[in-house]
Amino acid sequence: MASFTMKIHCFQRNFSFSSSALVPVQLPSRMETHFWYILPDEVKSATLLNQYLDILSPCEKENVLRMHGDNLKKSALLARALVRTTIARYQINSQVSPTSLKFRKNIYGKPEVDWQNHYDRNPPPLHFNISHTSSLIACGVTLDSPIGIDVEEKQRTTKNNILSFARRYFSPHEVESLSIISDPEIQRLEFLKLWTLKEAYVKALGRGFSAAPFKNFTIRFRAATKGHLHLSGNSNSKASEIIVESSDDPKTLTSNWQFALLELTGSHYAAICKEKDDDTVEGKGSVPMKLTVRKTIPFVEDQCISGKDALVLVGGL
Amino acid sequence: MAAFAGTFVSVQPRPRLLRQSLATTSISSLKSLSFSNRGGRLTSQHLPLRLRVSCAAKPETVEKVCAIVKKQLALPEDSAITGESKFAALGADSLDTVEIVMGLEEEFGINVEEESAQSIATVQDAADLIEKLIEKKDA
Repeated sequence: MASFTMKIHCFQRNFSFSSSALVPVQLPSRMETHFWYILPDEVKSATLLNQYLDILSPCEKENVLRMHGDNLKKSALLARALVRTTIARYQINSQVSPTSLKFRKNIYGKPEVDWQNHYDRNPPPLHFNISHTSSLIACGVTLDSPIGIDVEEKQRTTKNNILSFARRYFSPHEVESLSIISDPEIQRLEFLKLWTLKEAYVKALGRGFSAAPFKNFTIRFRAATKGHLHLSGNSNSKASEIIVESSDDPKTLTSNWQFALLELTGSHYAAICKEKDDDTVEGKGSVPMKLTVRKTIPFVEDQCISGKDALVLVGGL
Repeated sequence: MAAFAGTFVSVQPRPRLLRQSLATTSISSLKSLSFSNRGGRLTSQHLPLRLRVSCAAKPETVEKVCAIVKKQLALPEDSAITGESKFAALGADSLDTVEIVMGLEEEFGINVEEESAQSIATVQDAADLIEKLIEKKDA
């Protein structure tokens, strides 16, 4: 599909540490979502890690060093470096560099870019959200629409029994959809998919977890064929879209959110939730999310990822 | 109740930050990573011990919370976890935090509302919240 030709254009290798060359990237269109990720295991050079440390703010450096143990310090460092370098790439304005970017939190605590004096007026409405596991750190970027992402290792297990956990935190419909799965392994994977999607939704809403308690909304998969709605129980039966419904108030608008669920390098689930463009909210049927997935080692290399390494399970193109 | 009646007074040193030097010469793959205190920030050796006075959680409660956290995050038994330890700094992600809260609910027979769970940043916060909820339950 279209992503194949994109892969050829995007693949670039850049080994010059000293030139600090961050390959610039065009802003996503309003229909697109850019998904960047880094694998900590692929970053081994102390010099490179130093370079990343150098672009952080003093406050961020403090937070990194406060983490317990080298692995946690490294992921915290890479997460900040990923956000700063990724956002800096989109700049046509030469005053913006990874180091000069400032961040703030909205009144609910959601991080956002603080453009300050970089733009006199109309800064680009870039939205971003990050998520990390010890083995993969990701940053999603959109133009003009709130975004939330969540990543989880496929092999993640829960200390609590899955159904006990679900009964405590998920909606009744979700509990039911999990309880009908007899194979424990499949049940665990479906649980993780639901978890990441619910997290992504709450993060996209950006109003804190208490504003959208997990129990009060249901994520479900459906195979949307024109006219028919087959409400399938889980994501395995040819689902083509993910929807969210509010449990306590059916009138709450939820059709303005779109989701995608990916499987990255066979090892991680990534859920993305983004507010729909106004034009598509009223549109017919489901609109798959236009995704560009890139793996990166900032200052070193960027790679467009598609196919089996970025397998779209549901909801994306 | 009077602020300092039956007060639990604790003197707790900050968790030690390991100060290690950076190997800047080699670019080849390293088996371990080192970080230095860039920007001249302080290690615990520079800071006075903090005197903490709180009318809140009993030491046993804090200990139980530490135990649940250690178990959830699969930390070694001798990990330096104290009331001041931040969940985020220990590597707890959102799924861990929710599981920890669930573990605390089971251990103490309480129910934690999402709003309260959100405000828990340290082990001490969790212990204080637990005791507040137990008090409310027994009232």
